[in-house]
Amino acid sequence: MSKEHMPEVRPVKSGSFFNNPRNRALIYQAILLFGLGFFFYTIVSNALSNMEARGIKSGFGFLFTTSGFDILMSLVDYSATDTYGRTFLVGLLNTILVSIIGIFLATIVGFLMGVAYFSPNWLIKRLSIVYVETFRNIPLLLQVFFWYFAVLAALPDVRDSISFGESVFLNVRGLFFPEIIDEAGSGFVYAALAAAIVAIIVLRKWAHKRQDETGDQFPVFLTSIGILIGLPLLALIVSGNPFHLEYPEASRFNIRGGISVIPELMALTLALTVYTGAFIAEAVRAGVQSVPHGQTEAARSIGLKESRIMSLIVVPQAMRVIVPLLNSEYQSLVKNSTLATAIGYPDLFTVFVGTSLNQTGQAIEIVFMTMAVYFVINMTISFLMNRVNDSVALAERK
Amino acid sequence: MLKLSSIIAAGLAVGLSFSATAGTLEDVKKRGMLSCGVSSGLAGFSQKDEKGAWSGLDVDVCRAVAAAVLGDESKVQYKPLTAKERFTALQSGEVDLLSRNTTWTHTRDTSLGLNFAGVNYYDGQGFMVSKKLGVKSAMELDGASACIQAGTTTELNMADYFRANGMKYTAVTFDTSDLTRQGFESGRCDVLTSDQSQLYAIRIGLKDPSSAMVLPEVISKEPLGPVVSQGDDAWFNIVRWSMFALIEAEFLGVNSANVDKMKAEGKPGQKRLLGTEGDAGEKLGLSADWAYNIVKQVGNYGESFERNVGMGSPLKIARGLNAQWNQGGILYSPPVR
Amino acid sequence: MREFQALPAQPAPVDTVGPIGWMKTNLFSTPINAVVSISIFAFLVYVLPDTIDWLFFSANWVGSTQDVCSAEGAGDGACWVFVSAWMQQFIYGSYPDPELWRVNAALVALGLVIAAPYLLPKHFRNTVGVPLFLLFPFIGAAFLDGRIFGLEYVSTDFWGGFSLNIFLAAASIIIAFPLSFLWALGRRSDMPFVRSVCVILIEFFRGVPVLALFFMGSVMLPLFFPEGVTIDKLLRVWIVLILFMSGYMAEVFRGGFQAIPQGQYEAADSLGLSYWQKTLLIIFPQVIKVSMPNILATFVMLFKNTTFLLIIGIFEILNTTQTALTNSNWLEGHAAEGYIFVGLVFWCCCFGMSMISSNIEKKLDTSHRS
Repeated sequence: MSKEHMPEVRPVKSGSFFNNPRNRALIYQAILLFGLGFFFYTIVSNALSNMEARGIKSGFGFLFTTSGFDILMSLVDYSATDTYGRTFLVGLLNTILVSIIGIFLATIVGFLMGVAYFSPNWLIKRLSIVYVETFRNIPLLLQVFFWYFAVLAALPDVRDSISFGESVFLNVRGLFFPEIIDEAGSGFVYAALAAAIVAIIVLRKWAHKRQDETGDQFPVFLTSIGILIGLPLLALIVSGNPFHLEYPEASRFNIRGGISVIPELMALTLALTVYTGAFIAEAVRAGVQSVPHGQTEAARSIGLKESRIMSLIVVPQAMRVIVPLLNSEYQSLVKNSTLATAIGYPDLFTVFVGTSLNQTGQAIEIVFMTMAVYFVINMTISFLMNRVNDSVALAERK
Repeated sequence: MLKLSSIIAAGLAVGLSFSATAGTLEDVKKRGMLSCGVSSGLAGFSQKDEKGAWSGLDVDVCRAVAAAVLGDESKVQYKPLTAKERFTALQSGEVDLLSRNTTWTHTRDTSLGLNFAGVNYYDGQGFMVSKKLGVKSAMELDGASACIQAGTTTELNMADYFRANGMKYTAVTFDTSDLTRQGFESGRCDVLTSDQSQLYAIRIGLKDPSSAMVLPEVISKEPLGPVVSQGDDAWFNIVRWSMFALIEAEFLGVNSANVDKMKAEGKPGQKRLLGTEGDAGEKLGLSADWAYNIVKQVGNYGESFERNVGMGSPLKIARGLNAQWNQGGILYSPPVR
Repeated sequence: MREFQALPAQPAPVDTVGPIGWMKTNLFSTPINAVVSISIFAFLVYVLPDTIDWLFFSANWVGSTQDVCSAEGAGDGACWVFVSAWMQQFIYGSYPDPELWRVNAALVALGLVIAAPYLLPKHFRNTVGVPLFLLFPFIGAAFLDGRIFGLEYVSTDFWGGFSLNIFLAAASIIIAFPLSFLWALGRRSDMPFVRSVCVILIEFFRGVPVLALFFMGSVMLPLFFPEGVTIDKLLRVWIVLILFMSGYMAEVFRGGFQAIPQGQYEAADSLGLSYWQKTLLIIFPQVIKVSMPNILATFVMLFKNTTFLLIIGIFEILNTTQTALTNSNWLEGHAAEGYIFVGLVFWCCCFGMSMISSNIEKKLDTSHRS
């Protein structure tokens, strides 16, 4: 991009050494290199002498020593006797978990609210505007506090849990639901599920091809749902239900067993979803507005239903504008998930830059490791979204 | 161009400071200000009021040192520090003295290049539960959820205690005491654990303080005290003896009200402390009335305790371990002679 | 022959005009719409009365201690006394009373410096307006500090409250302007080493959570200076904020550069302008113009992010609120009031700025869309 803008460098025949742009470029870069080298040399030598003077250990040896503290929630087995390395892993997985859920929900909320702006219903349109303008303009940290201490803390106590059919419980300690435990033969059902997914993909391709050739539409959506439910159900019946449920039960203090979703996770997810959703709604709005009005009119004139104009004509074109914006919103969501530390959700930041740094005092190693992790996650998102961007970009006339 | 760069340099100079190597006492005297690292908000220990004035038991140590060195307890620059930056701030010379409810431990004393000047509050980690649980002892807490106020040793003590007793628990960690209290109050956890001094502060913050009780178990020793950098013994002595002066004054019955009278016509021990006899101040490199200034301006330890955390404060903490050795506590100052 | 005479116009059917017509088209056009409208309405009726009562009618407004709110007969709504008692702390931090005019003066000066390019006649703009703008952070900091101007010294430990949020955000974005412009230029440069350094800088400061950068400023930076040199914490945070902001602004400028037509470069070259003349006189003004809405959006983000400073213990407004909540004379739980106040203050500022930004956008918008 930059190359085309610059005039071509022509060799200068006369003039001094310094008038040659190539020589000058070399000199500038040499100066920059020297400056940077000096800068880093100073920093590193200062840091080393300071750390020695202050008795701060350096290196990554601490990753193999026992951490000695407990963590509220972990996706892998963890106890206080595990190492800091394991702590790092627990935090990393929790960060990834909240990021994925947050991105998924924020996208849904954002698209709904963004499209709602164009609703003919006055109330829905106002709702969309009020939602975007309220949540976009209040610091996220405050919103995290709001969901955690105002909304979720208002849920009932453990003893008065809201229960749904004695199997799902909701209270101030979180949401508890039964866990599905595999028995022998469950592989058959999973295989059926996989087969159903493959079948749906094949079906979609076939239906698309048929529509191109004959113009007939095939009810792909309903058939897909039928396959997705039917096939595994059939397998379930044939194999004689190789699963059982483990129900959550009230023990003396807490609810035990089953799967639990802690309120910290819920609050953080809610805050991230609502906050990022507002930005995504804004992006969707901008995207839809970028589609020329003639497109909608043309769609109406060929007799498309009002509800299909949005999904078939407008949104696909709007995606060209929306996807680059989504990319940066997803990245900020991941970065903003560090606010977990304010309410104690054990993400990477809380357990590593929070508790572990408090215990070990090895600021440089810990802060750099954490930065590197977020950097890598964001680069991955950027990479994936650029792939998506390539696929939605219109093939323009050359 | 020259003007521009000089203005930028001036702007930077506002924030940059080079600490001379002469010794902390000279630096403080030259500056006319004591730079003291405190906690940014810990009820009864260091807190700001709506006028921006600092008060608290830890803050009183800063004030005492300023009174001893500069003759004026108000000549203190308070630097609120987080738990993570406190030692770095001390080591880099950003603060002359750290009085930020810091537990005296072997590791910190030996490996961080610090010296603990003494203990100004004997604390210990305890538990608070809701009365309606019917729990009478921490040993009945197997399976409970615990709200933990994140500290540096709190989480480790908790893990150790439950592991040692073969019990399980769920750790819900919060950053500040206010957040911990809100978590406990909302029913997020059955038990709240923190240093005992903070349990009282948290308890009076509850909507109904009588609904919660502090359990008798104390699971750790937390001697809290002021800290200075290693390698400046003169300064170390000043901080240590400023603290002892607070304690010794209470032991000798000298307080801010009677200090003038005692100075003139007190017993020999009182006169030695207040500088009318002997040369205690001179030996520290301070003026003779160093301890007089402390007691006159800050009060003795007992006054400071009552005002900040004791019966004269909303916290209403009993003296307990923090009473004089002849009153059933373990507060003991070496004699000034 | 009978002359044609139009009948008087019939009034439109009742259900297409007036409030009823409006409701029919805007609220109940389809059954689904009707259901949605009714449920939104029901929700509002359910929530609003209690909220308004708590906020206004049963709230306690007058007094100076929390006893006013807990006393017999006091309203059981919000305790706004908490906010009014701490108001000075929330806005100015612990800045000493007799010196408060300096904070106010600096705030006014900030407003003037920003408005200067619009107010000043054209030939003063570049000679006075721009240098003032770029030097404001340094002069302002020195003024609040006071030593250089011979005023009473107020150390940064006394600075705080909402004014600190404003100053930090403004001072950071002002310095980030030239810095990020350089980075953006470097990213377009032909020199491979310069380009890669700029790309790394930009991507690093954009790809890392701002909270991690704050921790870097608070616990890592002190280790990087030689022994005996200490840098004020606020200055460290400022440096971090400038770098963070520069990363984002550089990307904004990159977008701006891409919007400048190739012909502008060629025209400048054909006039024989040097690289810097071309960049500063021809390209830069156009880049600023097209980037303005994005610059404002970035600023709003930075402004909201200054609340994260709470976590490293800087006394900005949210941290002041939390300190107030732990004060032993205010322990009876006023979190909701405090947070609502802070939220409202931020909302007003950010909403105002996004209004300005969309105005500018509309003014710049030359496309013809329905």
